[in-house]
Amino acid sequence: MKQFFLYIDPGSGSYLVQAIIAAVLGGLFYFKQKWLKVKAFFSGKKKGQEPENTGKHDGQ
Amino acid sequence: MASNQHPASFRDPAGFIFEHDGKFYRQVNQCYADQYNLLKSSGLYDRLQKENRLLAHTELDTCLTDNTDWYKTLLPAQVTFMSYPYEWGFSQWRDAALLTLNLLKTAIQYGMILKDATPFNIYFENGSPVWLDSLSFEKYDATKPWIAYRQYVECFVAPLLLASHRSHELLKLFQLYPDGIPLKMLAKLLPLKSRLNIHVLLHVVLPNSLTAGKKKGPHETVPFTRQKLMHIADDLESFVRSLKSANSEKKWSNYYGETVLSHEYLNEKKDCVKEWLEQLPARSVLDLGTNTGLFAQMAAGIGKFTVAVDADLDCIDALYLDCKQKRVTNLLPLSVDISNPSPAIGWDNKERPAFLTRIKTELCMALAIMHHLVIGKNIGFFQLATTFSQLAPWLIIEFIPKDDPKVVLLLQDREDIFEDYRESSFTEAFSLRFIIEKRKPLHHAGRILFLMRRKDLSLEN
Repeated sequence: MKQFFLYIDPGSGSYLVQAIIAAVLGGLFYFKQKWLKVKAFFSGKKKGQEPENTGKHDGQ
Repeated sequence: MASNQHPASFRDPAGFIFEHDGKFYRQVNQCYADQYNLLKSSGLYDRLQKENRLLAHTELDTCLTDNTDWYKTLLPAQVTFMSYPYEWGFSQWRDAALLTLNLLKTAIQYGMILKDATPFNIYFENGSPVWLDSLSFEKYDATKPWIAYRQYVECFVAPLLLASHRSHELLKLFQLYPDGIPLKMLAKLLPLKSRLNIHVLLHVVLPNSLTAGKKKGPHETVPFTRQKLMHIADDLESFVRSLKSANSEKKWSNYYGETVLSHEYLNEKKDCVKEWLEQLPARSVLDLGTNTGLFAQMAAGIGKFTVAVDADLDCIDALYLDCKQKRVTNLLPLSVDISNPSPAIGWDNKERPAFLTRIKTELCMALAIMHHLVIGKNIGFFQLATTFSQLAPWLIIEFIPKDDPKVVLLLQDREDIFEDYRESSFTEAFSLRFIIEKRKPLHHAGRILFLMRRKDLSLEN
């Protein structure tokens, strides 16, 4: 496919800008996932204690 | 350029719009053949068209222009009325911005990408935004970022941000900057506290400071991935969704609630207008100064396609949201001040025609607006009659007498230079352009409704 279709001006430095934004967002996304895991770990233990125990009991 | 090419359709080499036998067609050029075939074979076109996100078209295998680069002719569904972004309210802008991101994301799923992001590619049909240009998609190269990113920020995010942080009247700024509000200017206009927002920092402040003084071309090679692009698209979406109109705190402009005019008056007026609307052969209506849209919704309810305009953006936004909630699909609210309607703009002043050139309805309703134009703006009765006669062949107009509380209010702080402001002068001036078919005094307010037919319109029409 030809690059002929670049008929709009993407803007000077626009590609670089997107790379930086994507990197920042990627970082934020990574930490958010980690944070959610940590949160789930703690809240899961607190809230999920009963059902977890029940589950174990059921299993036994 | 083909001889019948539409004056707004010259930027994209992939094809162009042209007029033929009173219909609008789109020519696909040879250079876009592969991309067009991919749009069809990937299933993207079918999906978007089925979901009413992209204007449907039928393919024709005949060349209807004198342009030799012809690959295919498309006959798109004909657009009922073309509105322009600077006539939209806040929520219409936001819905249009979200549609654009939605198209970008869907296209990527089908191995294509949106190559431009201008709100001029969007129009409102059946109460929702629809993308007009089927040539806006190209093959997706995952190693490249989104070419239309900056265009999207300047064309969609910028007006919405200004409306959100300053005032939604600034949406009109797009009329001066139809290619998008430059980031440099946007950064200056936004309040400092807006920079506390991560989205503003990333999409406005950072690009603005990075590109200042830089003269790099589009050929920079920066490695990119699909995941990165999705991060950007998702972030833009949550950004746009988070924006609220700065004026949204204001109450619905309740003309009929606040007014000293009685319910009896309103009911009398409603009954009369309804009766006339039902009797008239007109299929489309332009409601001037629609306010809460009470009468526009009545016309739409009777099955007439209605364009409802008001200078007040609050009214337009509230009416759009109300119609969306009630699923009224044949009513288009637009922010147009009839004493200063949108002008013709763009190259040669032909790219975007003026509102008065575009609007073609069969009935014009000018209810409780005449005094604002005559006394508020010093527009004479004959000037009014002439302009109204160009808007539509049928006219329902409400005459507001001089002793009406609303007129008294308008004259309160100014000299009364309106000696001729009386019913006889009004009917005399309007009789030069119209034939007065009916006259109905509204006894509870002293106002008078008139039904008029333009002089050149024979009753058989």
